[in-house]
Amino acid sequence: MTASPGTGQHPSMDDPRIMLDGQIGQFETVPPYPPRTERESEFYSLRDGEMFLNMGPQHPATHGVLRVVLKINGEQVVDLDPVLGYLHRGVEKLCENSDYHHIISQVDPLEYVSSLFTEWAPVMAFEQLLDVQVPRRAEYIRVLTGELLRISSHILYQGWIALDLGGLTPILYSFIERDEIVEMLAAITGQRMLFNYFRIGGVNGDLNHEFMSRLGDWMSRAAKQHEANIGLLNENEIFVRRMRDIGRLDRTTALRMATSGPNLRSAGVPYDVRRAHPYSVYPELDFDIPVRGTNGGGDSLDRYLLRMDEVRESLKIIDQCLHNMPDGPVMARLPRLLRPRPGRAWAAVEAPRGLYGTYVISDGTDQPFRMKIHDPSFVNMQLVGLLMKGNLIADTMAVMASLDPVMGGIDK
Amino acid sequence: MDRPLRTRLETRFADKLTGPVRQRHDQTEIRIGPGDLIEVMTALHDEPELCFELLADLAGVDTGDHMQVVYHVWSATTPDWLRVIADGLPRDNPRIPSLTGLWPGAEWMERETYDMFGIIFEGNRDLRRIYMPPDYASFPLRKDFYLPDDAARSPGGGVRHMEQTVAPVQATERVVRRTVKA
Amino acid sequence: MAMTPDGREAAIPEDPAVGPAAADLSSLVAAAPGDVMAPIVVANTLWTSTNPGAYLGTGPAFTHLRDLEGSDLLLSDTARWGQLEVIPTKADLIVDLIRMNSLWPLLSGLACCAIEMMSAATSKNDMDRWGMFPFRASPRQADVLIVAGTLTTKMAGPLLRLWEQMPEPKWCVAMGDCTCSGGRYKRSYSTIEGIDRLMPVDVYVPGCPPRPEGLIYGMMKLGQLVKDRRGHWPEHAIIPNVPQDV
Repeated sequence: MTASPGTGQHPSMDDPRIMLDGQIGQFETVPPYPPRTERESEFYSLRDGEMFLNMGPQHPATHGVLRVVLKINGEQVVDLDPVLGYLHRGVEKLCENSDYHHIISQVDPLEYVSSLFTEWAPVMAFEQLLDVQVPRRAEYIRVLTGELLRISSHILYQGWIALDLGGLTPILYSFIERDEIVEMLAAITGQRMLFNYFRIGGVNGDLNHEFMSRLGDWMSRAAKQHEANIGLLNENEIFVRRMRDIGRLDRTTALRMATSGPNLRSAGVPYDVRRAHPYSVYPELDFDIPVRGTNGGGDSLDRYLLRMDEVRESLKIIDQCLHNMPDGPVMARLPRLLRPRPGRAWAAVEAPRGLYGTYVISDGTDQPFRMKIHDPSFVNMQLVGLLMKGNLIADTMAVMASLDPVMGGIDK
Repeated sequence: MDRPLRTRLETRFADKLTGPVRQRHDQTEIRIGPGDLIEVMTALHDEPELCFELLADLAGVDTGDHMQVVYHVWSATTPDWLRVIADGLPRDNPRIPSLTGLWPGAEWMERETYDMFGIIFEGNRDLRRIYMPPDYASFPLRKDFYLPDDAARSPGGGVRHMEQTVAPVQATERVVRRTVKA
Repeated sequence: MAMTPDGREAAIPEDPAVGPAAADLSSLVAAAPGDVMAPIVVANTLWTSTNPGAYLGTGPAFTHLRDLEGSDLLLSDTARWGQLEVIPTKADLIVDLIRMNSLWPLLSGLACCAIEMMSAATSKNDMDRWGMFPFRASPRQADVLIVAGTLTTKMAGPLLRLWEQMPEPKWCVAMGDCTCSGGRYKRSYSTIEGIDRLMPVDVYVPGCPPRPEGLIYGMMKLGQLVKDRRGHWPEHAIIPNVPQDV
């Protein structure tokens, strides 16, 4: 079907719905007849007493636009089928048509909550292809800002998980903390959210006085504030009872489901990319990897507590970075037009949600041939179907929120 | 760059490798044919001296004349990442066995690869589109699918009305060139 | 008043704050229909007002503002309204003010801009100051649809469905570059270049993502639009009049 610009009807410009054709706005009928796959025919056949409930793309608790079709028997969820794609923006295709510098700003909005990690992995892969040595000060700045963003992401996670369970207060506390961290980062990067800060060969700008003063202010009360914020939820009986023993994930299942990050560590597997496959200056830093759920797997409460443990470790790392920050340039000298050697490169970082990886195939031109982004939330969402069977609808929220999904990364 | 790993792989999979074991930086790469995939991956997963337990990524690649599926796995026995390239899938009918028997978590990654490239994973119980609407007709990441700017030249793209560009009526070549120069 | 079980009246100690209690219950009961009871007066010794006529109940001092013309009481604007007991005005003006100050948004955060929208709604940049605290989950209860985040072709149907479900009067705010014009995803195969292809937008808030202060500025502009919609506040009219029954 050839389509050239200019053919096709030009509908009247007065009608605001000019671009709406019959193909949008059609939900697939539930159940779809005929079922296209084995799993669909299994899911969309109802037994006695079961019904479908659609948690549609617009829902206060789905962390973005996620549609989950629940098959329920009364209040108990028998099976569920997540439908993704409501935020698919075609980032990989756009990356194939951008130069290497532009890609850094293209991949930001995946995992928009922790967007420095989404920049870090591609930048590491490009540095492999270009054989670029990153200055040590730049590495330390990367680690410092990355850990700050990890803390911000985990604190936001705490707010969201409470919000999904109905608690409206912790989210306010979370956003206060997040605002402070993000204003700090805005002092050096210029942006509150999609930072576009890392560059191939370093970072964009050095730390400045405003950042250091804000950071000093915040660090002086960060640990105590964190303990206070945790105290909001850890001893809250409603929270604990809604999260304990919900969605228990054991070690073998977690590895088989290709989970990574806090979800894997709370299932008893001590795997962290920063220790298993060290990158940047993490070998020089002293921090522990908290692991929970070594007896029989971790439930939602373990996943929550593990992320709060990780915040403490990140505070330690930030301390060490500030003490050991070397002097020097913050960016290696590179030409404007980058043409890496043809080849393949893979780089993975430990994002707050798991292993964030980038696989780049370069063909020697100034645009990559293929750029594949592996997002941890995408793989972790498969756990929802697994962990949800037999639980109540309200527990769906607990499980889904405890896995910390970010729809930007899930849908790319 | 783990030299012992290279020798171990070359001895273990001597008959399956379709190319040399390449190593660069911290990655080791092996190439196999699509038929050998399950055997190789099972050996990598189960054998105690290899023990590649963690599946990190599953990617599809369209090289223009054929397709590949690329797997990245990690093991505690080696400091390197292992990249397994299943090469040589024909473009008109790309089929490859599915990894969901070994790693059930590969199901969605294979769905995504199918959605973007059209590669059929045999044995995946749920091979349907994951990102695009279920009635979408093209495979967006193929090399013959052009972005809407070039929708005219795309045999696979431009399916939806809003993928068709609406060019201004007076945008003749002369006008465009004059604007660009200014 | 307190009758002991024997039937004798118990002695009631006199409470100095309350005053002498009525000695006999029977005096409270009307002897015959038509009798008017004398009111029980309990003198107020606990507090008094400095204004001697406060409890006299003589009615408002002024019934019309023109009586106050030229007096000191009209020195400030707020004093004007404070002298009367009611504010005389038309319901139309107040309805416009009410709508402007309690615009309830629909939770329609799609992507990254949703985080900044949440940040605008939480403590540091508080949208509750303008009445926009409850982010309604149901479109039937919402006034404003703040579309925050990239709109994809798959999501366009549900979003349009949400827009159609919202009852009139409703407004739409396009937050972020992706909703204004497609933004950084303009060339993509699966995004819609701006939500004004689907629904009429009232306020565009550009930015990627816009700062929370930017969104608040956009909402204030929207408030201005809401207030001047029907032309009852003509001094800052932005758009022409809209029929009265809407």
